[in-house]
Amino acid sequence: MKITYHWLKQYVDFPWTPEELAERLTMLGLEVEGIEHRSGDFEGVVVAQVISRDKHPNADKLSVCRVYDGAGERQIVCGANNFQAGDKVPLILPGATLPAKPGEAGLPIKAGKIRGIESNGMMCSAEELGLPVKVPDGLLILEANATVGQSLADYLGRRGSDVVFDLEITPNRPDLNSLIGIARELAALAGKPLRIPSVEVASGKLQELAASPGAVADFVSVRVEAQELCPRYTARVIRGVKVGPSPDWLRSTLEKVGLRSINNVVDVTNYVMLETGQPLHAFDVRLVSKGATGVPTIVVREAADGEIFQTLDGTSRTLTAGMLLIADEQKGIALAGVMGGKNSEIQPDTTDVLLESACFKAASVRRTSKALGLRTDASYRFERGSDVEICDWASQRAAKLILETAGGGVAEGVEDVYSMTGMAPTILLRHNKVGQLLGVSIPESRQVSILAGLGFEVVPVEDRASAGCTLLGVPSFRVDVHCEADLIEEIARFHGVDKIPSTPPRGFVGSNEFDKLHDALMESRLLLSAAGLCEAQGQTLIGDEVAKLAVGAESLIKLANPLSADMNVLRPSLLPGLLECLSHNISRKNGDLGFFEIGRVFHRVEGKQAEERRAAMALTGARSPSFWAGSDRDSRCSIYDLKGVLEEFLDAMGVKGVLYSRRVGETALFLESAGIAVGGTLELGEIGLVHPALARRRGLRDPVLMAELNLDLLLTLRGGARRFNALPQFPSVRRDAALVVLESVSHDAVLEAVRQAKPAFLDSIELFDVFRGKGVGEGSKSVAYAFTYRHPEKTLTDFEVNGSHEKLMAHLTKTLPATLR
Amino acid sequence: MSLIDQIAPVKDSAMADLEEARDLAALDQAKGRYLGAEGRFTALMKQLGALPKEERPLAGKAINAAKVEIEAAVLARRTQLELEALMPAEPIDFTLPGRRRFVGRLHPLTRVTEDIVRCFRRLGFAVADGPEVEDEYHCFDALNTPADHPARDSQDTFFLEPNLGESMLLRTHTSSVQIRVMSKQPPPVRIVVPGRVYRRDNADSTHNPTFQQIEGLYVDKGVTVGDLKGTVETVFKELLGDEVRLRFRPHYFSYTEPSFEIDFSSSLTKSMGKEWLEIAGCGMVHPSVFQAVGYDAEEWSGWAFGFGIERIAMIRYGIPDIRLFYENDIRFLAQF
Repeated sequence: MKITYHWLKQYVDFPWTPEELAERLTMLGLEVEGIEHRSGDFEGVVVAQVISRDKHPNADKLSVCRVYDGAGERQIVCGANNFQAGDKVPLILPGATLPAKPGEAGLPIKAGKIRGIESNGMMCSAEELGLPVKVPDGLLILEANATVGQSLADYLGRRGSDVVFDLEITPNRPDLNSLIGIARELAALAGKPLRIPSVEVASGKLQELAASPGAVADFVSVRVEAQELCPRYTARVIRGVKVGPSPDWLRSTLEKVGLRSINNVVDVTNYVMLETGQPLHAFDVRLVSKGATGVPTIVVREAADGEIFQTLDGTSRTLTAGMLLIADEQKGIALAGVMGGKNSEIQPDTTDVLLESACFKAASVRRTSKALGLRTDASYRFERGSDVEICDWASQRAAKLILETAGGGVAEGVEDVYSMTGMAPTILLRHNKVGQLLGVSIPESRQVSILAGLGFEVVPVEDRASAGCTLLGVPSFRVDVHCEADLIEEIARFHGVDKIPSTPPRGFVGSNEFDKLHDALMESRLLLSAAGLCEAQGQTLIGDEVAKLAVGAESLIKLANPLSADMNVLRPSLLPGLLECLSHNISRKNGDLGFFEIGRVFHRVEGKQAEERRAAMALTGARSPSFWAGSDRDSRCSIYDLKGVLEEFLDAMGVKGVLYSRRVGETALFLESAGIAVGGTLELGEIGLVHPALARRRGLRDPVLMAELNLDLLLTLRGGARRFNALPQFPSVRRDAALVVLESVSHDAVLEAVRQAKPAFLDSIELFDVFRGKGVGEGSKSVAYAFTYRHPEKTLTDFEVNGSHEKLMAHLTKTLPATLR
Repeated sequence: MSLIDQIAPVKDSAMADLEEARDLAALDQAKGRYLGAEGRFTALMKQLGALPKEERPLAGKAINAAKVEIEAAVLARRTQLELEALMPAEPIDFTLPGRRRFVGRLHPLTRVTEDIVRCFRRLGFAVADGPEVEDEYHCFDALNTPADHPARDSQDTFFLEPNLGESMLLRTHTSSVQIRVMSKQPPPVRIVVPGRVYRRDNADSTHNPTFQQIEGLYVDKGVTVGDLKGTVETVFKELLGDEVRLRFRPHYFSYTEPSFEIDFSSSLTKSMGKEWLEIAGCGMVHPSVFQAVGYDAEEWSGWAFGFGIERIAMIRYGIPDIRLFYENDIRFLAQF
C-alpha cells in the first residue's frame, strides 16, 4: 500500500516529519518498505516578468531578455518569438530540471553562455513543462494577474513536493489498506482527532441540473441471488456527469501512489478505494439492460459453468460455477470484487453513472481471483475481508467527489441490499490480564482510551462480577479482532512495545569468559585428531628427573608431600609425559604412533608459580597406515611430517607469520630443534628430533619427533573473522626453475630473496623438489620451485610472464647466489 | 596404372595398417607412412603435376577425399587406443584393504566431558574454569570447610612446597571455581565446571592421584531441591539413557545443606550385580558459602552437584581400571 505524507495529513494532523512518521508507522506494525521523496511539480520554476527584449548580437533568431523573477533581474537568452516586454512567463532557474518526457531523462538547466551571451535560466514553453500545448513553438504566456515570483506549481494549483511511503500491510489488517484506516491509527497515537471527510453534497451542485436527478429507484434496481457470497450490495446513481480528464489534484495523487489516471469518474472510484479501503465500481447506466421492472437491474448471481465474460482489460474469461458475477437480466457486467466488464464500463460519453459499493465474501473473491489468475486492487482488498458497514458511506463519498470533478447530480437515495445485520461482536477485557501478558502496568483508563481511540466501543455492563473488566464492541472494520489477546495487542502497540521493559530471560545467565576458551580448546582437539593424532591425557604429577628434560630444575614446582619420587613435581611441559606415553606403547609392541595432548603445565616464572595451557604432539614409526603396495609403504616419519601437522594446525587456527629458527646445539630432549616464533619475538613453542640415544634408552628406534605450543598465546594470535576472496577470473601461468644453491641457503632465504625482487604478477611460489647428488656440486643442493604468475584483471601474455620471470631469476642468481640448472 | 586407379589400393593398405597399430606410437608411424612428407599419399599428390591439365581436378579431388577418410580413421583409432590405455590393467579386488587415512581419536575422558558440557549448555549453563593450583581459601575456607576439617588433612591433599610464604595446594574439587565465579559475578549464576582435580591417593584400579570432575552450580531466586532433582535427572538420562533411575540419599558435604548422594540404577548396574551404584554428590548451596561470596541467602538459593568423569566413562564404556585412562595405550585410545 502506498500513501503520501500530504494526503495522510488531510485526515489527521500529526506533528511528525516524514522520517518520524516512518518510524511511528513501523513501530505500529505498518512496516515502511520504502520512502520516496517526490519533488513537486515544476520544481524551480517561477512566474517571471519580461522587462526588456533585445536582439542577440551574434544570432538572428535569438533575443537577449532582462527578466524579473520576483527576487531580482536575470539576463536570459531566448529563442521564442511570441512574447514581449511585460509578459509573464514561466522561468526555470539554474540548478532545476525540466520535467522528464516519457522515456527520457529530465533536462537539467545550468547558467552558461549562449552564442557568447550569458543566460541565467530558461523561459519555458508549455511543451517543455509537459503542459497542454496551446501555442506551438512559443513561450507559455501566463495570465496578466499572475504574481511574479510565485512558484508555477502554486500558480497552477499543483501540489508541491511530497513523500511517498510504501507500506507493508499485514494480511490480518485489511482496514489498513486505506488512508483513513492508517490515519485512524496515527490519530490514536498522536492523540489528535481523525478528520473524516464530508459526504454532504453541496446543494448548489444539484441545482446545476435543469431537472431534478430524481430518485434512485427510478433508475436502477438490485436483486441479490447469492446472498451467501454478497452480504451487501449498494447502488447509487449520479446523473448528468461529464466524463473527462481528472483535475490535477486527483490525477497527481493517484499517480504518486502508482495508479494510472483514466478519467474523472473511474479515478474517483479508485481514490475512494484508497481512501476508505472499499473497492467501488462505476457502470454506465445505459449499458445495464432493463429488467421486468422497466429499470436497469443489477443481478448478483453465481456464474454459470462455462460462462464467457470479457473483463475490462479486454480478456475473455471462462467462468466456472461458484464464481460471483454482477449481471443484468441478460449478461454479466462485472466479476464481483475482481474486475468490471468491458461491456458496461464508463465511456467518454457516459452521462449517468451507476456506482456499486458492495461487500463480497472474502473466500469467494480469493477463489475467483486465483482461479482466473487475476489480481486487482479490489480483489486484494476483498479477499482480506472488507468492512460491510462502510459500503454506503464510501458510495456517498464517491458520489460527492464525482459531482465535484465531473458534475451532475445524485439521484436521491440508495438501493441497499443488506442481508446480514448481526450484532457487533463484543469482547471482555480483564484489565489485570494486560499487565500479566505484557509485563508492564498500564492504567485501566489508558487501556480503555487506547481502544476507544481505535474505534472500539465501551459497552456498559452492570455486573459486579465484571469488576476490573471492560466490555468492548469491535468496530466492523476490525475483522482481525476476535479475542482478549487481540485487544491486549492493540494496547501494547499503542503503549509502545519499546516502552515495555526488557526482563532478562528467566534463568538465563549468559556466558562465562571461559566459554570461548573451552570451545577453542575443543576445536584444537578436533583439528589435531583430524590430522591423524590420537589424544593422550598424561599425569599432571611427574618425576623431577623426567621433568628436567623440558626445563631447568629452578622452574619446577615441587610437591611438599609427594606420594613417590616419580610423582613429585607438577609437569612443566607436556613433552616428558608424551615421551613416557610413546615408551609405554613401544614396550607393548605398538610402534607406529601419533599423539597429541592438550593440557596445563606448571612452572615457576620469576619466583611465581604459573599455569599455562599447551598443545604437544609426538610422532614416531610408520608414516602411514600399512598398505600392500607402493615403494614408500615402509617409510618412517620425519621431522617434516610433524612440521606438516603443525602447519596445518596453525593455518586452521588462523595463526600467521610463524617462523622456525634452528637452534644451535642440542637440548636435554632434542638432538636438533627449532624455536617457533610469531612476529619475530613471541615464543610460541618448539619442534625437534628427540635425541636418538635418549629415545633408544626408552626402546624407541625410529626417529621420534615432538613439538609443543603455548596454546594460551596461540589463541590470542588467531586471525579475525574469515573473509571471502574473489576467485581468480583469469588463468595463471606456471614457470618452474631449479636453483643450485649452497647448503646454507634456507628455503626462507629463497622466499625472502623472491620478496625483495618484488616480481610483477607473481601469485604464489611452491617448492617441489630438493635434490642433492649427480650434477650438483658437493656442499650444494638443487631446489626447484614452481612460480605461478597471474593478473587479477586480464590473461597474461607470454611476454609479460617471461619479462617478470627472467628479472626474478636474474635477481635470485645474483643475490642468493644461485645458478639455474 | 592411371593415377586414379592407384588411390584405392593405397587407401585400403592405409586402413589395414591403422587397424593393425597396437599403440599410439605404432599409429603415428602408420600415419607417417601414408600422410607424412615421404608418405605414399604425398607421393600420389606429387604425381598430379604430371597429369594433363584437364584430368587434374578429378584426380586431385579423389586423392583428397581418400586422405580425409584416412585422417578420420587415424583420429578414430587414436581415440580408441587412448581409451584402451585407460582401462585397468588388472581387475579390481574390492575386498582388498583400502589405503587408510588415519583419523586420530579423542580421549574417552574428553568425549564424556564434552557430552556432559553440551547437555548443560543446552540447559543454559556457561562453562567456567579456574586454576588447578589453588589457595586454601577458595578450596576450603569459603566452602565452609574449616581448618580442622578432615578433608584438609595433608593425608588427602597435595600441598606445594611453600614459596614466598604462600601455602598453595592442588585443588581437591572443582568447587573452588564456584567461589571464584560467584565472587566476581552477581546472581543469578548457572555454570558447569569441568577440570582436573587431585587427591593424595595411591593409584589403583579405582584411584589415580589426578582425576577429573565436572560440577554444576545454579543460583537464582526460588531454586529448590525439586529443580536440583529435575536437572540431575535430565542430565543423567541424556548421558546414560532414558531407562536410568536415580535415587537421592541424604548425605553430608560441608558446602551444601541439605546434601545428597545420587545413586543410579539401570540394566548396566544390574549386569554388574548391583541395584544401585553411587555416581554423584549434590545439595543446596550452604548459606555460609553465599555469605563468603556476598550473596544474600534470604534472597537467593541454589544447588550444586558434581561427579567424577572417569567414573561415568568407566560405567559408560565398561572400563575396569582407571589407570587405563592415563597410560594412553594406542590400542585403548583407538577404541573410542
